[in-house]
Amino acid sequence: MEMAAQMTINALSLSALYVLVALGFALLLNVMNTLNFAHGAIYMVGGYICCELSDALGLNQWVSLAASALGVGLFGLFLEKYCFRPFYGDISRIVVMSVIIILVLETTANVTMGTDEKRIPSFVEGIIRAGGMSVTADRMVTILVSTLLVIGLSWFIRRSRLGQQMMAVAQEPKGATLQGISTNRVSAFACVLGCGLAAVAGSLMGAILVLSPFMGDYMLVKAIQLVILSGIGSLAGILVSGLIIGALDAVLPVVTSGAVTQTVGIGVIILLLLLRPRGLFGREV
Amino acid sequence: MSKANSEMRVIRGSHQPGRGRFFRWTLSVAAAVLLLLLPIFVTSPYRAHILVMILVYVIAASSLRTIGLSGQMSLGHAAFMGIGAYTSAVIAKNLGWSPWICIPLGGISAMLVGIGVGIPFARLRAIYFSMVSLFFGIGMLAVNSVCERWTGGYSGLVRIPALFVGSRILYYYFFLFVASASLSVLYRFEVSRIGITWKAIAQSHVVASSVGVSETRFRILALAIGCFFVGIAGAGYAHYRVVLSPDTFNLLASIYLLMYVLVVGIGSFVGPIIGAAVLTVIPEISTPLKQYSPYVFAGVLAVVLFLMPTGIAGMAGQMRLWFARRSGGGW
Repeated sequence: MEMAAQMTINALSLSALYVLVALGFALLLNVMNTLNFAHGAIYMVGGYICCELSDALGLNQWVSLAASALGVGLFGLFLEKYCFRPFYGDISRIVVMSVIIILVLETTANVTMGTDEKRIPSFVEGIIRAGGMSVTADRMVTILVSTLLVIGLSWFIRRSRLGQQMMAVAQEPKGATLQGISTNRVSAFACVLGCGLAAVAGSLMGAILVLSPFMGDYMLVKAIQLVILSGIGSLAGILVSGLIIGALDAVLPVVTSGAVTQTVGIGVIILLLLLRPRGLFGREV
Repeated sequence: MSKANSEMRVIRGSHQPGRGRFFRWTLSVAAAVLLLLLPIFVTSPYRAHILVMILVYVIAASSLRTIGLSGQMSLGHAAFMGIGAYTSAVIAKNLGWSPWICIPLGGISAMLVGIGVGIPFARLRAIYFSMVSLFFGIGMLAVNSVCERWTGGYSGLVRIPALFVGSRILYYYFFLFVASASLSVLYRFEVSRIGITWKAIAQSHVVASSVGVSETRFRILALAIGCFFVGIAGAGYAHYRVVLSPDTFNLLASIYLLMYVLVVGIGSFVGPIIGAAVLTVIPEISTPLKQYSPYVFAGVLAVVLFLMPTGIAGMAGQMRLWFARRSGGGW
């Protein structure tokens, strides 16, 4: 029983991080129609910025988390304007562009930080014991922060003017432009949001596990898995698929070996894509 | 995807009368002589190694482009290379068969897997095909570590029987032969009726099916041909390197293969050849920069991306047009 509860908490905290990164990836995919393979690298950079701010400058972790999200968000603004906008709608060139971004970011991280794994100091010290289980407070913080961010994001998209414009562009870019919505402004904002979310996820990951220059590669695969499982065009579906993938990742390794886990996870995705190409909640593209 | 289609539309006809044909013949003969004599100038084994790797990646990238002709962008092509490599290596190592038999077997196994996944995958279009091929590639890596007993898992496979003993020059000639054979087969396919059908499907699958072309069948055919040649390349690579690591065939490798094709432009047959050659050499000549060398690679890609929006082939076309206008006649 205790083990089940422990596993649930681990699964939830993993899911929360996957969801944060995948939401950013999906925002870019929906609004800008851009497959940003560099999203994993951006997540890694967010983690390292937070780590450096709190480690080298000795800032409070929460301040450095916010600063990292803000800084990476601004970087997203730059990315959208100079890297993605010129190649809008041309998937092959976007792929080359994201490879360039990955190379630059990973090399920079590798050169400046080295390949040693780093850790961000805990956001909240201590271990929570309840019943027979013990969970680090950081995992609870991760779940809490992610939940708040997801609620905030969904409120923002549904209620605010910019959010609704974003939905409109995602549904029909031409129609939205005809209504006087600036597609460029909306995509820029989507990119800022996506990068900011990835930075938060990277910082939280740095606290519960470790940072390494190539940790983005694994996260990118997870993010794509989530987006495909939920379907392109659906943001709410990512929550559900995040829970599914997180649960698989947390439960299967206990039952079988790690390699089998990966095979099962990917098998589920491939099967789903074949039976229902638009994903669980997606629209037809 | 639409951009790739529009680039395909401007592929030039292969038959040009008069001077153009003569020029083309001279160029091919000169290239053949140069390639055959190249080992005379290459003295260090390290440079011979780079030449061999270029040839391997030329085959792989060209076969990826063949799949791309039918309008599908595979993001798991390196996995098929891995299937060829591992099949050939495992058979040669465990059953003791000669590598000369195992290399074709590697190609055939990659082709069979290609057909096997092609039947369900071929009905997915555009981005969904890219996604499912991406997950196929990742899945294959996972399968590799599940079958650890035969494939060695993450730590890789060692002591694979070699094709030749001693000089790397022999490998160079072997891969030169394989590459020219594969490229001519791929070229014959491209200019044949099948190739034209692929391009038609890529431009508009609706129109193609309305005139009675089976979209699925032709896409599976493209996948089968592409996978066969990449399997051969992978199998040859396995018996050349003698060790295999799953990292050689991961997602990044697939993306790199795609870049070899895209850098010059998917519309050009020589595109993957130039792309693979240039992009394989760049990391090698920038090794003195140590960990800074990826910057050079990224820089070259950025220059191509921003300064040559139509790829290097498009640039060459524009220059030819410019020369033609200046001199008042074509080549």
